[in-house]
Amino acid sequence: MIRLNGIARTFLVGGEEVHALRDVDLEITHGEYLSIMGPSGSGKSTLLNIVGLLDRPDAGSYELDGRKVTALNDDELARVRREKIGFVFQFFHLVPRLTAVQNIELPMVLAGIDPAERRRRLDRLLAEYGLEARAGHRPDQLSGGQCQRVAIARAMSMGPTVILADEPTGNLDRHTGQEVLSVLERVHQNGGTVIIVTHDPEIGARSHRRLRMLDGAIVGDERG
Amino acid sequence: MRVADVLQFAWQVLRGSVSRTLLILLAMGIGVAAVVVVTALGEGARLYVANQFGSLGSNLIIVLPGRSETAGAMPGVLIGKTPRDMTLEDALALKRSHAIRRFAPLIVGAGDVRAGGRSRETPVLGSTADLMDIRHMEVAQGSFLPRVDPRHSQPVCVVGAKVANELFGSRSALGEWVRIGDRRFRVIGILSAQGQSLGFNTDEIVIVPLAAAQALFNTEALFRILVEAKSREQISAAQSDVEDIMRLRHEGERDVTVITQDAVLATFDRILRALTLTVASIAAISLAVAGILIMNVMLIAVTQRRREIGLLKALGATGPQIRLLFFTEAMLLALGGAAAGLAVGQLGSNVAVQMYPTIPFQAPWWALIAAPAIAMFTAVLFTLAPARRAAQLDPVQALSRR
Ligand SMILES: Nc1ncnc2c1ncn2[C@@H]1O[C@H](COP(=O)(O)OP(=O)(O)O)[C@@H](O)[C@H]1O
Ligand SMILES: [Mg+2]
Repeated sequence: MIRLNGIARTFLVGGEEVHALRDVDLEITHGEYLSIMGPSGSGKSTLLNIVGLLDRPDAGSYELDGRKVTALNDDELARVRREKIGFVFQFFHLVPRLTAVQNIELPMVLAGIDPAERRRRLDRLLAEYGLEARAGHRPDQLSGGQCQRVAIARAMSMGPTVILADEPTGNLDRHTGQEVLSVLERVHQNGGTVIIVTHDPEIGARSHRRLRMLDGAIVGDERG
Repeated sequence: MRVADVLQFAWQVLRGSVSRTLLILLAMGIGVAAVVVVTALGEGARLYVANQFGSLGSNLIIVLPGRSETAGAMPGVLIGKTPRDMTLEDALALKRSHAIRRFAPLIVGAGDVRAGGRSRETPVLGSTADLMDIRHMEVAQGSFLPRVDPRHSQPVCVVGAKVANELFGSRSALGEWVRIGDRRFRVIGILSAQGQSLGFNTDEIVIVPLAAAQALFNTEALFRILVEAKSREQISAAQSDVEDIMRLRHEGERDVTVITQDAVLATFDRILRALTLTVASIAAISLAVAGILIMNVMLIAVTQRRREIGLLKALGATGPQIRLLFFTEAMLLALGGAAAGLAVGQLGSNVAVQMYPTIPFQAPWWALIAAPAIAMFTAVLFTLAPARRAAQLDPVQALSRR
């Protein structure tokens, strides 16, 4: 369902070209649990952003659920992103003035889903991610682990094709990291596709498919 | 996005930064209130002048000695020669015109009016019986000046309500004698309280027959001739009749000024309208300043809320949605500011009315519409750039810590 062919992404930094991705081919099927590892600056985030339609490749083609998305304009991309992609970030990126439940609701609000349906989904999400008692709290009243659970619930609210998590445990202590990871694994167990960028070899070991990146290229792809 | 959600989102943003919101509301409010108050003052002055002229009399033509170069306006200072006096005979000659219903020659002086032990200095008007109808005066007690040959003096007078009260207290003034200068007059009428009317407070005057005033002030020269045309349509005919008759009597010389109430009123009206518009535009500049403030605050917001905007995009917000959110925020600010400004402006107008009850201070309808409209317009205009910038923000950059 995700098919990348010859994807390249080059940045200009101070007049010099930085090849963040060079000629990447990648196929990911539905329901995979995949980790991406590699040294800092090897292009992991760039790859994730392109898969998440936040960034456009300079070359290559990208097919998502059978649809060529490289040709779409920004607003079309936004709509596809809304329907099919769920992001989880290292720094949570919750809106500080909104409560947990309002943060979770945000993608559905942007999609114009009617309030009754939103309510229904919110109840389910709050229960699923153990956030019922925290629904009315603002991010500054939540622990890091709770924040990340809110972020995962938000990512799941539109029933996406794939969850993209960029170092989701990078900002959490070990114990909380484990807890968040198990939440993401539950998404996978429920049939979701999960892609995690991580530095933690232990997390890598738990995933079912491991990509290794180096200098903008995929240098390893092992399963099992 | 649903309208209710857009509004709620913008509302939460505004509530999230109270001081910023209050600052903009204040700026917007001051701008709108300034426009409302300023136009209320201007319009009040204009209506006041119009009312004053209305109370002066209808279809009124005023003849005054001296030639003014600017017809229609107040007589200017004469260059060089002193004008020939206007006399009672000049006034009586106006009877020849068919466009004139009636006229009243007028002499004005100040006189020391005494009755019993009391005395006071008041303006003394010398005129004829027709003055009452021309100036729309009303007599509360007794009668106005008798309808007799104006060349003959009679020792009678009509006094204003306040004068009567001051000289005679609660006693009835009617039939009493007063002294003006070295002459005695019998009070035959008391004017109803009418108040101020363009320079003269009819409550504080004494009116005597024209011939009596001529003797009292030792002059033949008339201060004015008040002329009432037969109808509104006849005003210009009456005006040219007056000019012709006067020229004929003054050896072909045009040495009187004939002004019509309409012309004077129109001039005042023009001046006051222009003045109101000018000060209103100056006040409107403060709205533009508020608009620039909104722009700055919004630009800062785009920078401060970079991550939030990036996040919204990552969650699937389109460019138009981001713009809509910013515009809604600006519109809410403008609406709030306009509402507050209108309220404060109306309050200011009411206070002005309390202080000067005779002047109808009320912002004209166009200002009540234009001020909020300009507020909205500037808010939207000055949000264009920030909203555009926000919509174009690269989400990857916005979300990264760099
Ligand atoms: N927006 C950008 N502008 C310039 N250079 C960038 C940008 N994003 C990434 N890069 C560069 O591209 C390379 C890959 O970055 P990234 O994908 O963030 O690596 P990783 O996530 O593996 O640490 C790095 O050299 C980085 O400096
Ligand atoms: Mg990275």
